[in-house]
Amino acid sequence: MNAIEIRNLCKNFGEKQAVVGLNMTVPVGSVYGFIGENGSGKSTTEKMICGLIRPSSGEIKLFGKDYQDDYVRAKIGVLIEAPGCFPNYSVWNNLMLQAANLSLKNPEEEIRKVLKTVRMEGSAGNKYKNCSLGMKQRIGIAMALLGEPKLLVLDEPINGLDADGMRIMREVIGNITKNYSTTVLISSHVLGELEKVATHYGIIRQGKMIMEMTAEELENSCRTFVAINTSNNDKAKALLLTNFSEVKEAENGQLRIYDAENPEAVVAFLYEKGILVNYLNTAKISLEEYYIDLMNQKGVR
Amino acid sequence: MQNENKLVFQSPTFIQRIKSMLGVDFYRLFHTPLLYIFLGIAAIIPAMLIAMTGMPAPDGSVSEPLFTNVWQAVAANTPIYVVSNIGEYANMNMVFIFGGIMVSIFIGHDYKSGYVKQLFTTHSKKGDYMLSKTLSCAFAMAAMCVSYLFGAIIAGGLTGTDFSVNFGSLLAALFGKIIMSLGWASLYTFLNVIFRRYFGISILSCFFFGTGILIIGAAAIVGSSPILNVFLYGSSVFACLSGNFLTILNCIAVSLAWTVIYNLLGTHVLDKSDVY
Repeated sequence: MNAIEIRNLCKNFGEKQAVVGLNMTVPVGSVYGFIGENGSGKSTTEKMICGLIRPSSGEIKLFGKDYQDDYVRAKIGVLIEAPGCFPNYSVWNNLMLQAANLSLKNPEEEIRKVLKTVRMEGSAGNKYKNCSLGMKQRIGIAMALLGEPKLLVLDEPINGLDADGMRIMREVIGNITKNYSTTVLISSHVLGELEKVATHYGIIRQGKMIMEMTAEELENSCRTFVAINTSNNDKAKALLLTNFSEVKEAENGQLRIYDAENPEAVVAFLYEKGILVNYLNTAKISLEEYYIDLMNQKGVR
Repeated sequence: MQNENKLVFQSPTFIQRIKSMLGVDFYRLFHTPLLYIFLGIAAIIPAMLIAMTGMPAPDGSVSEPLFTNVWQAVAANTPIYVVSNIGEYANMNMVFIFGGIMVSIFIGHDYKSGYVKQLFTTHSKKGDYMLSKTLSCAFAMAAMCVSYLFGAIIAGGLTGTDFSVNFGSLLAALFGKIIMSLGWASLYTFLNVIFRRYFGISILSCFFFGTGILIIGAAAIVGSSPILNVFLYGSSVFACLSGNFLTILNCIAVSLAWTVIYNLLGTHVLDKSDVY
C-alpha cells in the first residue's frame, strides 16, 4: 500500500493550468522530498492532497482510500505555508484548540509529547505572535503531529530559517520518522537539507511530475566528479579545459572535473604541465546539482 | 516500513466533532475582546436612544421624544414593515445589524489566521463548520439582545421613562427576537463563507442584509403583508409589543427554516469550492 497515490491529477485556475496530469506515488513510511521551482505546482498539489483545494480532475488516494474519506483525514497532519494559529493565544492554547478539533482524548499528554518532539517544551506559555519564524514552523509541525498522524504533509518547513533553525528542523523531522512511524511528504527549495532526510524524491516542473526515485536511485544517478586543489588553480583550469570538456570552479575554490575517467589521469595531466595537485578527492554531485542538471536537460534554464 | 496491517483509521462521530468545534468557537468567543465590545455596543445603543431623544437642542427647543415608553426601544408597538421615521426602526432589530459585523470579524479571523486551513485539513466537515459558527454566533447575538435589554432598562430607569407594558406581549417580542438570532447568524455565516476571501465585502453584505432594506423595499410595494414574515427581517419586525404565543412559534419556524437553508447552502459552497 502507498501512503499517497495520485493519478492524472489536474488543477486549473481559470485559464492557468497549475497541475497537469500529475502522477505521484509516496510509499508508506517514506520521507518524500517534493522538489520543484516556484510556481511548479508543489503547493497546489499538497493543498489538493490536504483537501484545501479541489482537483479539476484526477484521483488522489491516501492509504488506498479516497482523499476525502473521514477516517483517513483524521490521521493526516499538515503544515501548509504558515501554521494556522491565533497570534494572541499562547502556543499551548493554540495546540489545545487543535487538539479539541481533533477530539483527542488526552490532549494535555499529547501536547506535551509533541512539544518535546519539536523541542519547544519551554515555550508553551509564549504568545504565538512573539515566537520567531523557526519556532512558529516548529509549532506548526507540533500541531500537525497532534493525533499521531499516519501522514504528515509539510510545505516548505525550512524556508527562511537560519542555519541553526534548519539543523533543529532536520533533527525534528528525524525524530518524527523515528518515533511516530509517519510517512512524510516534504517540499522545500533547500535541497541540501532535504537530501539529509529524504528517502524518496519527486521532481515536479510546470505542473508535471518529471521524475520519481528513491534516495539510492538518486545516489546511483548522480555523476561522479574529481575535486582538486593545485598550486595555481586559474592556470590549472585553463589547462584542464584543453583536455576535459566540463571543468568548474566550486564555491570553496576547488576545481571540479566532471568528465574525468579517473583521478590519476587528472593528476598526471597537470603534472606533465608542471602543476602540482595538493588536494584530490572524488565525490558525487549533490541533489541540488543533480536538480540543476536535470532542469538544464529539460531546457528550463 | 510500517506494517500495513497496523493501519487502523478511526474518525470521531458527529456529536464528538460538533462538540469539539463548538468548544473551540465558544472558547474563542469568550477569550477575545470582540464579544465584550459588541455586548457593550448593544447596551449603549438603547441607552443613547432613550437618554438623548427629547434633550433640548442648542436653541433651547425640545424635540418630540423618540420613545414615550422604554419598551418601544426594544420592539415596535405593531409590526411596521415600511419605516416612516427612525423611531420605528430603532429597536432591538439593530442588534442584528451590529451582530452581522461581529460575525464577519469572528469568521474573518478564521481565514486571516489560517485556522480554517488547520481545521479543514483534518476530519472536520464543512457542515460541522457551518453549524458550529451559526450556533456560536447565534449565542453571541442572543447575548447582545439581552445586553440591549439591560441597556434600555437602565437608561429608562435613569431618565424616568414610562415602563408600563403588557408583560406577555413583551416576553413574546423578546423571545421572538432572541430566537431570530439563530436565523440571522446562519445568514451571516453563509455570507461570510461566500465572501470568505473578501473581508470588506463580507462586512458590507452583512450590513446590507441586516438593515432589512430588501424587505423594507418589498413592503413599500406589497404593503404590510403577513407574507413578509417568512423572511428574517419580516419575522424580526413581527416580534413586537402586540405579539403573542403565535409570534414566538412564527419566529421559531422562520429562524429554523432559514438556518437549515443557509447551512445547507454554505456547506454546498464549501464542498464545491477551494477552501483556502
